[in-house]
Amino acid sequence: MASSIFCGVDVGSLTAQAVVLQGGRVLGARSIRVKPSPVDSARAVIGDLFTACDLTREAVTRTVATGYGRQTLEERGLADANISEISCHGTGAHHLLPSVRTIIDIGGQDAKVIRVDEHGGIVDFVMNDKCASGTGRFLELMSRTLGVELEELGELARGARRIEELTSRCSIFCETEVLHALQRGVDRRDLAAGITRAIGERAAALARRLGIEPETTMSGGVAKNAAVRVELERLLNLRLLACPADPQIVGALGAAVLAAQGEPGR
Amino acid sequence: MSLITVGCDIGSLFSKAVVLEADRPGGAGRLLASRTVETTGTIAARIPELIAGVLEQAGADPGAVDTVAATGRGAALVEIAEFTEEEMVCVGVAARSRLPEVDRVVEIGGQSITALRIDAEGDVLDFIRNDKCASGSGRFLEVMSEAIGVPIAELDRHASRATRTTELSAQCGVFVESEVITHLNAGEAPANIGAGLCDSVARIVVSQIKRLGAPAPGAGFTLTGGVARLRTVVDRIWERVPELVLVPFPLDPQLAAALGAALLAAE
Repeated sequence: MASSIFCGVDVGSLTAQAVVLQGGRVLGARSIRVKPSPVDSARAVIGDLFTACDLTREAVTRTVATGYGRQTLEERGLADANISEISCHGTGAHHLLPSVRTIIDIGGQDAKVIRVDEHGGIVDFVMNDKCASGTGRFLELMSRTLGVELEELGELARGARRIEELTSRCSIFCETEVLHALQRGVDRRDLAAGITRAIGERAAALARRLGIEPETTMSGGVAKNAAVRVELERLLNLRLLACPADPQIVGALGAAVLAAQGEPGR
Repeated sequence: MSLITVGCDIGSLFSKAVVLEADRPGGAGRLLASRTVETTGTIAARIPELIAGVLEQAGADPGAVDTVAATGRGAALVEIAEFTEEEMVCVGVAARSRLPEVDRVVEIGGQSITALRIDAEGDVLDFIRNDKCASGSGRFLEVMSEAIGVPIAELDRHASRATRTTELSAQCGVFVESEVITHLNAGEAPANIGAGLCDSVARIVVSQIKRLGAPAPGAGFTLTGGVARLRTVVDRIWERVPELVLVPFPLDPQLAAALGAALLAAE
């Protein structure tokens, strides 16, 4: 008889993810743009995933929710428990990379640095959710200003011949700075490199506040940007462990792992 | 013999030039003309035209100008200026020349908020400045006006018709924008959100005023900078510090720094 199936769902500010796990292996994962409410997002991403994996709701033993509105998801019966994003990210990263001790997670609307022990338990963390600079929103705004897709920004930065440094810290001021630079005729690739450096510096500053312990990896949507990863490696003077799965699903994966462990909600 | 001076304030969003006629060096003088243009990436090339325009408006011959002084973020771009001065110094001088009774000024500009205390001469005693974060600045309101689909020039008129104040909890402008969009999607009236935005600015400005320390009993303060043109913002600020006497800046508050530069040029 096949072992039980567990599900994790993580609703972020820009995207929502769901993962199903069976016998410790990822059976399937899905990521979608968020809907107007966390409940709609969770329902849609779980529905998509179950269809893709040919699963029914009844086949799933336990579901854990994390991210925005995780309590509501539990109250509305979409999950059996809800667990903090910090715990889920730590657990997810540990599941993928047992040697990892520091996780730099840059999501759509916040950035966190999490330290875990050899069992994936949380040692400490720092978080920025007050200021958009240093989050995925910053990159989204900047790519809009440059007139490129968010996914193209990293590639654009890699073609730079020099780095056009941004002097502002605030995302709104950076937008004006980039606009003025474009009006002056500055190359978009050089600006993309400056934008990459800016977000790298914010993440590095956050990581230094907590202190980094090797090994280190990066998760969250921004981890998909290779130029940011390279910049962060340079600033922190280390090699980041490559995330063996889509870095955006780490939180949902952690939720699924915790669902399998039968962790009580917290 | 009277002096003619020009003060230029090259701000992050707007560039202002004023022409001052002073009957004696160091006098309060009379504002002959003012001109305000948007600051763009090409502002450097447009400054001579800005100055020529304001002089023409004042009916002054460029040859008759005694001194040109510049201030603001882009002060160095004013090549014709004989000297440049810090914006807050200019604001202090302008406030003192027009309002002998105030001892603090809050300049709410395009990209910064500066709260300053001035002495009897208009010299800056101390100040608190935020120019790292857009929250509460003119740029913040510009971005938010766009989000609610109201031109910035109309924001105050809309906000004054609000039936209630939409609560906006975030501090970061980017996150406030998301909140604004959520409220719009939920059917909230732009006027109410506009009032909420003015309230957000007031909250930030007041926290800076308070950080300047306890005022002398009955001490007056004034508000300058482009954002001080918004009546709703001014009212919301005053509601939060009833212990202070608000003395409105008697000219367009956006011109304060340029006026201060022209006054310094006349000294």
